[in-house]
Amino acid sequence: MSMDQTTYRPEALTGNRTLLTIAIILSIVMMAPVAWLVGLSIKDNKELMLGTESVFELPYTLANYVNILYSSQVFGWFFNSLVVAIGQTAGVLILASLAGYAFARLEFPFRRTIFVIVLFGLAVPEQAVIIARHQMFNWFGLHNSYLGLMLPGLSSAFGVFLMTQFFKAIPKEIDEAALLDNASTLRIFWKVLLPLTLPAQATLGIFTFLHAWNDYWWPLISATRKEMFTLTIGIASSQTNFAQSEGLGFLSAQAVFASLPVLIVYVIFQRHIVTAVSGGAVK
Amino acid sequence: MSASIEITNVTKHYGALSVLDDISLSIKAGEFVVFLGPSGCGKSTLLRMIAGLEDVTAGTISVADRRVDTLPPGKRGVAMVFQSYALYPHMTVAQNMSFGLENIGLPKPEIERRVSQAAATLEIAHLLDRKPAKLSGGQRQRVAIGRAIVKEPKAFLFDEPLSNLDAALRGRTRLELAQLHARLGSTMIFVTHDQVEAMTLADRIVIMHNRKIEQIGTPMEIYRRPASRFVAGFVGSPAMNFVPLTSVTSNGGTINIGTSGLGDIHAAFHLPSGFSPDGASLGIRAEDVTVLPAGQTGIALKAEVVERLGDRTLIYGHLSDGTKLTAETDGRSEARGGDTLQIALDTTAIHLFDAAGTAHHSEGD
Repeated sequence: MSMDQTTYRPEALTGNRTLLTIAIILSIVMMAPVAWLVGLSIKDNKELMLGTESVFELPYTLANYVNILYSSQVFGWFFNSLVVAIGQTAGVLILASLAGYAFARLEFPFRRTIFVIVLFGLAVPEQAVIIARHQMFNWFGLHNSYLGLMLPGLSSAFGVFLMTQFFKAIPKEIDEAALLDNASTLRIFWKVLLPLTLPAQATLGIFTFLHAWNDYWWPLISATRKEMFTLTIGIASSQTNFAQSEGLGFLSAQAVFASLPVLIVYVIFQRHIVTAVSGGAVK
Repeated sequence: MSASIEITNVTKHYGALSVLDDISLSIKAGEFVVFLGPSGCGKSTLLRMIAGLEDVTAGTISVADRRVDTLPPGKRGVAMVFQSYALYPHMTVAQNMSFGLENIGLPKPEIERRVSQAAATLEIAHLLDRKPAKLSGGQRQRVAIGRAIVKEPKAFLFDEPLSNLDAALRGRTRLELAQLHARLGSTMIFVTHDQVEAMTLADRIVIMHNRKIEQIGTPMEIYRRPASRFVAGFVGSPAMNFVPLTSVTSNGGTINIGTSGLGDIHAAFHLPSGFSPDGASLGIRAEDVTVLPAGQTGIALKAEVVERLGDRTLIYGHLSDGTKLTAETDGRSEARGGDTLQIALDTTAIHLFDAAGTAHHSEGD
């Protein structure tokens, strides 16, 4: 059996070990708060009031999780988050795909200028427009509604950019072959090009979902009625005092519960996320 | 089903840039026509205009006596095989082939019949459930041809379809294309910059150069009687030898051609009055330059490089005045670089090109 000698050079091995050490340290830094949170969530609230160091000692309990079922609004907030995240993801995918196709393939006046204006959206921080947006949503009575929670996230400059680049990367001969196959523009978009953008759709969908699920600021402003809270706002509102000396275990259990969909999405789409982060999506 | 194609005074501009200039061409039904020319000569643009993928700036294109240049690509009754094959990557071979038929609303049984028939013809029936990524270059090429065949088009358009294949596969596919044309009897237009493909496949070759058609003719007409110095130099490998003229004097039915490298040559020519040797050149193919056996005297050629191709030997050298010249001799030649060889010309195979590049052929050719 032949072995690739270059893989086993001593200096390469040292390099790999250094990288591995760094990766392990970073993983610990990332995972420690999560482990801490999970630990807190399986401890009795009264015990935690005496000191959080009890997280390292027996006994552990699932009472906090059971309490979520009976005494928390977390299911309602969970549902709200789900509606907003799924709605926003679907909306972004549809709009970004259509816009990306238009910018990449269609000829229309001021196409480049409009594209630059759209990209300018990447440079404008949300904080800069939040007051004006709040005012507008107030005028239109959109606060405390699903639509109000979803709408701002639909204008995804990143999504339009990503999809435009992806459509551009598809060889034009594919469109031309479809044109010769007597396909209409809509059919070419729907049956030929859109399926080819699935990797980009997956990437954009995952990031949009995660962003919408984790979004705190806009729901904090837009959802003022408790039944319209998303999970992030709902859990924050569960804090009973500043030091959070009461109900810490219960709060942690809610946080763990809130993280579950994100974890599930990550596990299912892990491959696409890795591809997206490593920059291999647009190929 | 095959159809004639009529291209009349077609011009193409991209803004101020002229790409094709007043092109007219008649292609007979069932004919295999090859557009041959160097990169950027406009041959692919002309093909894409026939397909409807490029607009016509001026002029008309008709397929089967119906004007099509105002119709969208799918309504012209032509099918195209792209250089990159342009298969739909997410569809199986069967779906790739049936997509166009679904778009025109053909009944499913008819689609299946055509797909299986084309797949059998191209020997790709076992690949129908595979996606293009799982196919080799040659198989993709067949699928692309299959996608064209199922449409039963009035004409097939091929845009350099063999250029992505390796040499051996290219040769085989070329042969199969010729067989396919013989079997289907369809009108086929084939764009290439490879003269071997053009010579072997074409009923007629259209040589394009610098936005215009330089010559239209059968492969042997193009080879033996090139219309211009460009055609003479472009078609044939090795390229035709060109030797500058110093004088031309008429002598009854023959002329005396003066050159500094080859000396004076007598050949039967009917040159137009006023033919000037200024800027004119003599052309002769390497195969019409004979290397004389040792002991015979002819024109001296100093060999520089000797290429042994097995069945023949090419000798690249220069004449006494430094003019480059290539001679072809048999494969057993023992000539080496540095040798001085004696050569003779077949004067019946001489061509003369005036300063504008227009060709005049010897009477014997």
